[in-house]
Amino acid sequence: MSVKEIMDIIREKLGGIAEDIRYVESAGIIVRVKPVNLREASHIVHDVLDAYFRTMMAVDERPINNTFAAYYVYGLDDKGINIIIEAHADPYTPVLPSIADIVPAADWYELEAWDLLGIKFKNRKLHRFVLPDDWPEGLYPLRRDVDYTVRPSPRITYKPPLQGPRLPVGPYHPALHEPEYFELFVEGERVVDVEYNGFHVHRGIEKLAESPRFTYQKIPFLAERICGICGFVHSVAYTLSVENAAKIEVPERAQYIRSIVLEVERLHSHLLWLGVACHLLGYDAGFMHSWRIREKVMVLAELLTGSRKTYGINLVGGVRKDINMDKITAIRNTLAWLRSEFAKLADLVTSVPQIVRRARGTGILPRDEARKLSVVGPVARASGLDRDVRRDYPYCAYKDVSFRVPVYTEGDNLARVMVRVEEIFESMDIIDQLLDKLPGGPIMAEKMEVPAGLVGIGNVEAPRGEDIHIIITGRGRPYRWRVRAPTYQNIPALKVMLRDAPLADAPLTIASIDPCFSCTDRIVVIDLKTGKREKLQTVSIPGECGCEI
Amino acid sequence: MSLKKLLKPFKLISIAHKSGVVTVLYPYQKPLITTEFRGKISIDATKCMGCGACVNACPPNALTLSRRDDTIVLNYFIGRCIFCGRCAEVCPVGAITVTHEFELASASTRDLNESLVHRVEKCSGCGGGLGATSRMLQYVILRSPASENYVHLCPNCRKKKLIQSLAMKMGARTEDYEG
Ligand code: SF4
Ligand code: SF4
Repeated sequence: MSVKEIMDIIREKLGGIAEDIRYVESAGIIVRVKPVNLREASHIVHDVLDAYFRTMMAVDERPINNTFAAYYVYGLDDKGINIIIEAHADPYTPVLPSIADIVPAADWYELEAWDLLGIKFKNRKLHRFVLPDDWPEGLYPLRRDVDYTVRPSPRITYKPPLQGPRLPVGPYHPALHEPEYFELFVEGERVVDVEYNGFHVHRGIEKLAESPRFTYQKIPFLAERICGICGFVHSVAYTLSVENAAKIEVPERAQYIRSIVLEVERLHSHLLWLGVACHLLGYDAGFMHSWRIREKVMVLAELLTGSRKTYGINLVGGVRKDINMDKITAIRNTLAWLRSEFAKLADLVTSVPQIVRRARGTGILPRDEARKLSVVGPVARASGLDRDVRRDYPYCAYKDVSFRVPVYTEGDNLARVMVRVEEIFESMDIIDQLLDKLPGGPIMAEKMEVPAGLVGIGNVEAPRGEDIHIIITGRGRPYRWRVRAPTYQNIPALKVMLRDAPLADAPLTIASIDPCFSCTDRIVVIDLKTGKREKLQTVSIPGECGCEI
Repeated sequence: MSLKKLLKPFKLISIAHKSGVVTVLYPYQKPLITTEFRGKISIDATKCMGCGACVNACPPNALTLSRRDDTIVLNYFIGRCIFCGRCAEVCPVGAITVTHEFELASASTRDLNESLVHRVEKCSGCGGGLGATSRMLQYVILRSPASENYVHLCPNCRKKKLIQSLAMKMGARTEDYEG
């Protein structure tokens, strides 16, 4: 279906309430609506047109048009096109209607926009989300008039003590990458509710990137540090968004090299995860062998990029490191070895009774819940949603290769294991195909100019799912850079997976979404009958964060 | 369940036997790094001209340039370096090389700083600071020989010289412009 036909459908469905409908090649179809019509427009796009909710970017556009703007990005996966609903709020008391009841996946985005930009959402509960409790009221750090160096002194807060006997739960581990914190409410051995508390070490990189300290060519290195495991994904998503916005022609060879490195990263990430999952299930032999195999991938990554992790080869316009014949031979040899070794391991792991029995039928995420939350990546594919950015919104060199997207319908932990195991084989095939077709030529674009005021979207299928960056270009650096990592979309689904399930399954289920935040998951167990709290040291996940190099 | 399936997990024993020990006894044995590995950078003091191109490119500000009246100091703080090698890429005279060195831990931050001090040239007209090192001037002259006539002058003296020569062409007397 061409863009024109989709435009016609959108005009027909949204024509009545839209103020303006335009097509921007680097982003999608942008539909501007008045705040009063936002709910209706969201309902039409999300439920009638059946588009996935991908991300939302709130922007302080007061210096440009004296409003606060919110861009809700929906994706028509089967057509590979975005529909963006744009709404503007008043500059003095910005208020928008909440759409969290229509689009449950938008819940977190609204809380974040309230916290960081002070945009109020009507008819919903708003509370502190990203900012710490002692951050002063009324200071919204992502607003343009707040300098990036502002370090306010903490506000003294009083929190009423929780009912029942209390046990100390913290301190939240500040040295670790992104510790998360779940509160599980239990009745005996059954989990009845889940509370999530995160963003303990929110680093404010979006603000930093807008500061004069950064330029377009420095941000890829910053973006790569968003994640210690799949950092390259972020640097590619960022560069894609800038390149799309500014229509920079990236040479084919650079696109291929990016794809190859992205797949190498997926191999290491999935092998890491598989090892961690084995470890969680008490099968440490599987953990060690998974990591033994992974080590070869790490060495390969270093040979290709110069570093085991945080590869640092990406720039806007291309890549910095070429691949020569020696490296191609090294990749082929490693892949051949990996194929046989991993086939043996996969066969083994999926037959060990302690793994299969614990993973089958636990942590179930039904398809309709997955759809409602627009989950991404292996979590979506294990729940019967056939989505993969590499196929649906092709980027880099993925349009030139063929691969299978494994989809399972069970939605349990075993399905998520199986999806990842199959993806490892697919990744190896993709790398082989890319090497066969690797074109010659330069690896860096010749002309590079980024005019201000453009918008661009870059999306990448990370090992954990869709990673999407939106950018509004500014002078010398982005005016606004919005990052949405896959785990952001997947954590809300944990509520569904953990609820009404035995407590003993919780550690595995939490790990099954391959969360990218912490070395130590700490869960507080609150017994609803006695009100007693205890700390459960669940998993010590080696390497599930930036401390893994 | 068939016996074969039941015994499958024991295959791991043969896999483990075949792969043997894969770790090395670091630091007694050589670490496993490849030829491409990027470690700490090394700045060649005999080549660097203090132009600051590397400082502009360095993403985490590990390289900084401080200008004083008569010196330009290029400082490299290893503690911030992300070992990306961007500096080596942009240096116009190839003064920076990326080494394989990575064992950089130290008990004192002093060991993590390396400084390169350049002397600033004086203006041949008024004797004030020129803001450039002698290597920078040589670099400019090498690339555009015509500049030799004015690179040793500070912007103010350059302006003066220009006005003077223009005025001379139009027939003014030199003493109008002296003092
Ligand atoms: S770019 Fe090269 S010459 Fe210029 S200051 Fe840096 S090291 Fe010295
Ligand atoms: S290697 Fe990278 S981080 Fe280190 S000094 Fe050079 S540019 Fe800066």
